[in-house]
Amino acid sequence: MTIRLKVNGKVHDVDVAGDTPLLWVLRDHLGLTGTKFGCGVAQCGACTVYVDGSPRRACVAPVSSVGNKPVTTIEGLEGPEADAVREAWLSLQVPQCGYCQSGQIMSAVALLKKRPAPTDTDIDHAMTGNICRCATYMRIRRAIHDAAGNLKK
Amino acid sequence: MTPLNQKRSRRSGARTLLLGVAALSTFAALGCGEPPRVKEAPVSPPPLPSENGLKGVAEFAQIQDETQRSLALFQELGKVISSPRCVNCHSASDRPLQSERGIPHQPAVVRGDDGFGAPGLPCSACHGERNFRNMPGAPKWSMPPLEMAWQDRTLGQICEQLKDPQRNGGKSHEDLIEHIKHDPLVGYGWQPPQQLTPAAGSQALMGELFEAWIDSGAVCPPSKP
Amino acid sequence: MKPPQARANVFVEATKSISVSSDISNPPFLRLDPRLGRRGFLAGAGALLFAVALEDSALAQGKLPQGNKDALLFVGVQPNGSVVLTCHRSEMGQQTWTAMAQILANELDADWQRVQIVQAEGHPKYGNQNTDGSRSVRLNFDRLRLAGATMRTLLEQAAAKHWKVPPSSCEAELGFVLHRGSQRKLNFGELVEAANKLPLPTASQVKLRERKAWRYLCHDIKSLTTPSIVKGEGTFGQDVRRPGMLYAVIARPPQVLGRPKHVDDAATLKTPGVKQLVKLPNLEAPVGFKPLGGIAVVAKDTWSAIRGREALEVEWEVGPNASYDSKSFEQSLLKAVRKPGKLARKRGDVARALSSAAKRLEAEYYVPHLAHSAMEPPAAVAEWTGDRVTCWGCGQTPQKARQTVAQVCGVPEANVTIHVTWLGGGFGRKSKPDFFAEAALIAREVKAPVKVVWTREDDLQHAYYHTVSAQRLEAGLDATGKCVALLHRTAFPPITSTFVAGATDADPGDLRLGASDTPFDVPNLQLESGQAEAHIRIGWLRSVANIYHAFAVQSFAAEMAHAAGRDPKDYLLELIGPPRTIDPNQEGAKYDNYGSPLKDYPIDTARLAKVTQEVATLAKWGRKLPTGHGLGIAAHRSFVSYVATVVEVAVDEQGRLTIVGVWSVMDAGTVVNPNHCESQLEGGTLFGLSNALFGEITATRGVIDQANFPDWRVMRMHEAPRHMEVKLIESSAPPGGVGEPPTPPAAPALTNAIFAATGLRIRRLPVFGTDRIDRLKLGTHR
Repeated sequence: MTIRLKVNGKVHDVDVAGDTPLLWVLRDHLGLTGTKFGCGVAQCGACTVYVDGSPRRACVAPVSSVGNKPVTTIEGLEGPEADAVREAWLSLQVPQCGYCQSGQIMSAVALLKKRPAPTDTDIDHAMTGNICRCATYMRIRRAIHDAAGNLKK
Repeated sequence: MTPLNQKRSRRSGARTLLLGVAALSTFAALGCGEPPRVKEAPVSPPPLPSENGLKGVAEFAQIQDETQRSLALFQELGKVISSPRCVNCHSASDRPLQSERGIPHQPAVVRGDDGFGAPGLPCSACHGERNFRNMPGAPKWSMPPLEMAWQDRTLGQICEQLKDPQRNGGKSHEDLIEHIKHDPLVGYGWQPPQQLTPAAGSQALMGELFEAWIDSGAVCPPSKP
Repeated sequence: MKPPQARANVFVEATKSISVSSDISNPPFLRLDPRLGRRGFLAGAGALLFAVALEDSALAQGKLPQGNKDALLFVGVQPNGSVVLTCHRSEMGQQTWTAMAQILANELDADWQRVQIVQAEGHPKYGNQNTDGSRSVRLNFDRLRLAGATMRTLLEQAAAKHWKVPPSSCEAELGFVLHRGSQRKLNFGELVEAANKLPLPTASQVKLRERKAWRYLCHDIKSLTTPSIVKGEGTFGQDVRRPGMLYAVIARPPQVLGRPKHVDDAATLKTPGVKQLVKLPNLEAPVGFKPLGGIAVVAKDTWSAIRGREALEVEWEVGPNASYDSKSFEQSLLKAVRKPGKLARKRGDVARALSSAAKRLEAEYYVPHLAHSAMEPPAAVAEWTGDRVTCWGCGQTPQKARQTVAQVCGVPEANVTIHVTWLGGGFGRKSKPDFFAEAALIAREVKAPVKVVWTREDDLQHAYYHTVSAQRLEAGLDATGKCVALLHRTAFPPITSTFVAGATDADPGDLRLGASDTPFDVPNLQLESGQAEAHIRIGWLRSVANIYHAFAVQSFAAEMAHAAGRDPKDYLLELIGPPRTIDPNQEGAKYDNYGSPLKDYPIDTARLAKVTQEVATLAKWGRKLPTGHGLGIAAHRSFVSYVATVVEVAVDEQGRLTIVGVWSVMDAGTVVNPNHCESQLEGGTLFGLSNALFGEITATRGVIDQANFPDWRVMRMHEAPRHMEVKLIESSAPPGGVGEPPTPPAAPALTNAIFAATGLRIRRLPVFGTDRIDRLKLGTHR
């Protein structure tokens, strides 16, 4: 079936089964490979995107459930929180292999949009869903605090 | 003892059951919510029959003493209340439980201020408006407030808090009946994904039992076990 | 200094170049390849290009096929002034791109913003490309410095000639050559043509930059990959796309060496998007890097392939490994270490010393199978043109991928091209290129480019697992509590079993990882190994046998301290003993020192003691702790580097554990990039703690029980410590390993801390099983 999607501000028509997870539509059909496949069962967070501005694990979001709600991926992530997070990520050299980092950044930005000055506990609660096997957790936490600090300026 | 061959259906994203050996646990398996397919009850329906391990209201008619009948009705409701489909979200901490064993939810998500998860990690990040494969879903997927916890509480304690407007979200008896009969999130308890066991009976049957319990005086079992 | 734009396109092939081989032990270390001669030198496409043939490469050994004159671009300066480095190692988060570029740019004194990386394909001309063993920097530090210095010398000579001034008055600086007297300067690019016409400098003309003049080495240069990563750019194996590409997932036999007996594909073929099924060849022992076999489902996208596989009904022949039950195997492993084993190292007379000791101590340790579970599951793409195949994938060993593809497909290696993408984590799993061979086999059948996608379930159920191990340690203490005898027995299915069917003896290659090199100052010391049979594929996992050997040895050190009534840190330092170097070969061990000579990389107890003392200082060892808290310490040398770690835990009345703080100190010799080494120290330590807390892979009837997170559980943000401090020892010693050495001491530091806090001695990992209840069972141990 043909499904119309709005991703990063662009409209796409894709011919896929309605139960296809948004993840595979983004990766295989639209070539937006910044959204990663890590587990397929919403355990690792590597596929985090925003649907209608809210974080969503694309691997468990059937494309038919998206409708006309706008989708934002790491490639289209913008705004002051995104800038602050990317800057902190670069400054603290957060990523190692980088594979999970699209998802980490999507979650971190989602957190900062809701909590401009998160506590360590806020960070635990928001980021527990994003696994990093390189275990860059120490730097992710510091970078979120730094980004929050820079946003206040 | 090993069979020479075995049949196996490969699954991706699903649990692999092989030779009767279930893998250790089941992910993404908590419960509260259901797909939006709730039928309005007819105006004067005949009482529903017993179903799926839950007795119908008629089964209690022979109990003459109203208090005893009320108690028996609530004991029956306890079969639903104690289901992991209900307790897993009515947990006694900020973190929900999951699976048949009621183990702490992974990842370590929390209720958040409004019950819809933490800032940055709402319940809806994973739980959609309906089940998707093994991922439970229902409209407004969320956790009840902590004062509505059922985990590690006796049926009597749960009963008392259900009736207490301070601890039931300010609900009247009528509100409670409506909630139990028609809230799609309650209804999820009977429509989980296939790897999870539904609660006993049905939402409609529970609603009738609950209404009958209210009508019989809403008597609670003793709080202490 | 702003980081340059990383080159995300890793598929750029090297341009033609002349070949210069390097032999640092036999100056002049750079010389023309005689088969190419002067003509080849001049044909360098206008760029100053060096093929730095590494001494173990086919090029250096004169084995490069005739006619292959466009050997490779390994390092070079382009006419536009950019410095190009063909990185022959795989980038998997250890920042090898950045490190390699730093080494080269430092000697050249290049403009960092003009440095470009080209990822090398898999080819013997590059020498050892196996990105494993924590040795990319160790093996290439000197070579890249020499190459850079030679290029710099040529550029300086070219400028001198141009200005008609003495070469000694010219020096390279930030991508230019300056003439000191006249303040004139020329861009590297402007000098390329002239430099190309010069003869190679002699060894005496080439001077390495002095340490105090290092501009990039030992500096916190920002990663070349991170700017792309934060934008979701860059190509990992899972991200490769080719025109007309199809997608495949494979139903593999549940047991290793199992095979399909009957396949019902009717429902699969009806699944929308499914194109066809491909039967893969059945696997024969030894397993090696060959595919496991099974049935591939090929479809128009990944999801259709996954759905098609779900619809597939396969009746499997279970094969010879269906008897494997990890629970009962645990008991048989423990039995194996309760009887004398094969002698692997001997000092003094342990039996006699044990029998006469004032106090005897014994303990048994068990570490289960572990899985790598890199965040990127394996993936590879293959595309055939006639009888030639090109593959792309996240491989740590592209030459092995090339060999395996050629072997499995029955084509000459020359017909196989392997491109390496970024790796979304490797940890040793991607050293095994079975997934490249799967892609090649399937693509040939379907006559289209095919990407083989491993799902997380595939990754966890069909890995090359970290082996399972049991160990028994016995000690004799004298009346003062000093250890006078130490017996260490270890048994595990060896990695050799992957390559030699039925191998059961511990390989010296496994024993030397933390067992045959135990640096303790004990007069009587003995290592024995037992036998164990493998029933699943066994392979390397970050720090390999060091994981279980360090766990046992460092736990037992703390147990001895406790028995002696001593402080564990003091006792550990006493065991390490006075400053000295150790050669296990003199005590009967077969010890290869991670492939590096002991004269350059000795087992130096002073360095091990130093990291131990430093970490104790950093963690304020000995301070008063709150109730329920405990500190644990462990120190271990691996991959010729030294790491000591202290963990502080808090355990409440219910047995709930919090890792309050972690301190880690590493002496890795000269470090190329301190910040990135600290990052490895943080991540490698937490990787070890994750395994210790949660890591357990089990098998029932030869089938892995875990399928996805969190059956297989790894550390998450809320489980990481809130406080962590790491420190690198400043050193001018040659560079040692960095990626793996942080992992081994983490687990024993944790369990030693739990003991200090609770009296509960954990000898079987993981600390928390797979029940996810996360409570220590305190009652029985208090």
